[in-house]
Amino acid sequence: MKTTTDIAAIFDDFNVKDGASISFHHHLRNGDAVQNHVLDEARRRKLKNLRLYPSAVFPVHRVLKTLLEEGAVASLTTNYLNGPVAEYFAKEASGDILRMQSHGGRARAVIEGDNPIDIAFVAAPAVDAQKNASGLEGPAACGSLGYAMEDVKHAKHVVLVTDTLVDHLENPQIDGTDVDAVLVLDSIGDPKGITSGTLSLTRDPIGMKIARSAMRLLDALGVIKEGFSFQSGAGGVSLRVVDMLNEKMTRDRIHASFFSGGITGHHVKMLEAGLVETLYDVQCFDLEAIASLRRNASHIAISADRYANPNNPDRVIADLDCVILGATEIDLDFNVNVTTDSHNTIIGGSGGHSDTAEDAKLSLIVTPLIKGRIPVIKERVTTITTPGKTVDVLITERGIAINPARQGIIETAQKAGLHVDTIEGLMAIAHTLTGVPASTARKTHPIGFVESRRGERLDTLHAKE
Amino acid sequence: MKTIVVGSLESSDCLITLTPASETTIDIESVVYDAFGDQIRAVIEAVLSRHHLDDVHIRCQDKGALDYAIEARLETAIRRYKEANHGS
Amino acid sequence: MARSYLFIPGDVPRMLQNMDVFDADALIVDFEDAIADTAKDEARDLTRAFLTKHGKNVPPLYIRINAVDTSAFATDVASLPTDVAGVVLPKTDLNALARFRATHEEMKKAPPKIIALIETPRALFDVLAIADDPLVVGLMLGGEDLTSAIGAERTAARTEIATARGLIVLAAAAAEIDAIDTPYPVVDDITGLMRDIDQSRAFGFDAKACIHPNHVDAINRAFVPSATAIDEAERIVAMHEKTKSMRFSLDGKMVDKPIITRAKALLKRAKQGADDA
Repeated sequence: MKTTTDIAAIFDDFNVKDGASISFHHHLRNGDAVQNHVLDEARRRKLKNLRLYPSAVFPVHRVLKTLLEEGAVASLTTNYLNGPVAEYFAKEASGDILRMQSHGGRARAVIEGDNPIDIAFVAAPAVDAQKNASGLEGPAACGSLGYAMEDVKHAKHVVLVTDTLVDHLENPQIDGTDVDAVLVLDSIGDPKGITSGTLSLTRDPIGMKIARSAMRLLDALGVIKEGFSFQSGAGGVSLRVVDMLNEKMTRDRIHASFFSGGITGHHVKMLEAGLVETLYDVQCFDLEAIASLRRNASHIAISADRYANPNNPDRVIADLDCVILGATEIDLDFNVNVTTDSHNTIIGGSGGHSDTAEDAKLSLIVTPLIKGRIPVIKERVTTITTPGKTVDVLITERGIAINPARQGIIETAQKAGLHVDTIEGLMAIAHTLTGVPASTARKTHPIGFVESRRGERLDTLHAKE
Repeated sequence: MKTIVVGSLESSDCLITLTPASETTIDIESVVYDAFGDQIRAVIEAVLSRHHLDDVHIRCQDKGALDYAIEARLETAIRRYKEANHGS
Repeated sequence: MARSYLFIPGDVPRMLQNMDVFDADALIVDFEDAIADTAKDEARDLTRAFLTKHGKNVPPLYIRINAVDTSAFATDVASLPTDVAGVVLPKTDLNALARFRATHEEMKKAPPKIIALIETPRALFDVLAIADDPLVVGLMLGGEDLTSAIGAERTAARTEIATARGLIVLAAAAAEIDAIDTPYPVVDDITGLMRDIDQSRAFGFDAKACIHPNHVDAINRAFVPSATAIDEAERIVAMHEKTKSMRFSLDGKMVDKPIITRAKALLKRAKQGADDA
């Protein structure tokens, strides 16, 4: 079969039935219409025991919540989760069905058969006559298709879902020889939900202070030198650090070898100014990143495997000098939680957090010490997303704490005159201001678990009450 | 008898509303109730014990204010309340 | 010796409780312009409660009280927290200083140190006498009020406050107290801030005030001496300590008492800069 507009025909032809394993990628993020369209058909057919592998779940994914409520889902494996599905797991979930992976861990699992996929529904912003696909064209252009690449190679069946058919695509990201069918919809996604507007640098004075402290530490440790490599998230503080790096590198004529991960206009600006040689882009966060990927040969879309698979020796982040990451909670052993809040409600997930923390030579966590009276440092995090042994430094507005296992970093930082505290010391400072919070996490029944990038069980996820 | 409102609903602040009532009651709504609800109540009760007030309903809408801020907002409110309602 | 003085509104908990993280060398909690007339008591209560509970480790802290001719002034004086470094006195002139003293005498309170806010045309004609008042430890230019008072508009070159800047720096130097320049009023205009800081430095100010935490870092950096200047100052002080002489020659240049004093002050500022890092 080739091309159809009928999802029912796809389900019939590929025999999608009870117990099917179905995967999706999340490049259309909160604009995605593909997952809902496919799962609506599963619902119409009253399929049961579904095993679902969306690389991430966003608020737009309401049909998934309905399927969960109807008991049709045997397992849900994903790297990031928020919105109604997270509410479902907080309030109504019964059964131990959720598995939270990392981006690198998911790529590894798909390749090695830990995530066996019967059929991958791949949102494809543009598809040509040879069933090649690209994320760069069409109304739902999203740029890199990095998180779909392993599914395309390893799923039993691959269905591209598109709203834009063209004769011929130059440099397609997905090769038509891997594709079994094309499903054409009127629209695969709402551009407003796909990319953010211009992602803004923080102006918040506390965020500014944290970013300045991060820069001082990077300076002291000599990280910012010719040929260094760097990654950061797209949070306001991280992007402020990127902007400060831009300033310093311009002033001191320093050039980076590569930036990796999710790419924004702030990274593109530095590529175009010749400050960084290559952008390895697993996901475009804004329109500037998509436009740059289209026109600049040094801006390279990479697969999740190439990005972060721990068993791929050529993974980009194995060469990473420094990564800057956030935290919802961090504990006295430097374990970081970005998966749940302190009431067990799922609010996100690793994404590339645990992958980059482990691989980068230096991993920095940047976060306010206190968020709305809640101290970010706990004796024990509610959920371990990223093991503390892979985390090097915590930077807050009231001081930095360095993992005691990194004596070298501690000595260099102290020699440079930086004020280094212990993580216990920082927690005590927070408690002086806020008081000691009553412990809130009550262990309830398990709803699933967090998996390390190598497939080990890291921590158990619990229902809210 | 007048209602007194002090503070704000900005982050790290609280809004204290004092309303005349037949007996003193405390009503707390907080974004951090699970972690700090008991502590907020203790701060309010400690301030009350310094004043002779047995006829006021206290509503504290808390946006993560620290103890000092809750205490200060309540002190201001009580002073204004007494000036308005007892002429003292 | 402070480089940066950061204004913090007295009735905003989020700002008060983070005052010590913004890297300002000194803080000014504002009870005057930033606080509505109906909220003066809120600012006083909140600031006092904060200082009582969390005031131990904050940088030197001044309170900008309300001007002597306002109804809030007497209460500000009566309820001033005891552990502050001093007050910033709005619209300081010789009359204001006299009333400030008299009010304290009536209340039988020891008057605190004053940073005199120079923001009226009259004050500029008495600025040396104000600087010489033993309570006054610094002169701060209030550029916005002064500009309004003379009916001028703010220009990029700040021509309208040039004379005031010069007079304040001269009077402060004569009285051997600090000269603190007016804040740059546009929060998000960092280019304008940098230009304004350059002017502050060129006039010879010791420090600069600011109204937003995001201005502190630029001010601290600008008022930290350059590596060359630090090196020269270190050699001057070293030679002075070695020779115990107040007058010697270094690199073919004559060094005497003011140069040695300036070198010492510069090293103190430089050390402060290093401590921030």
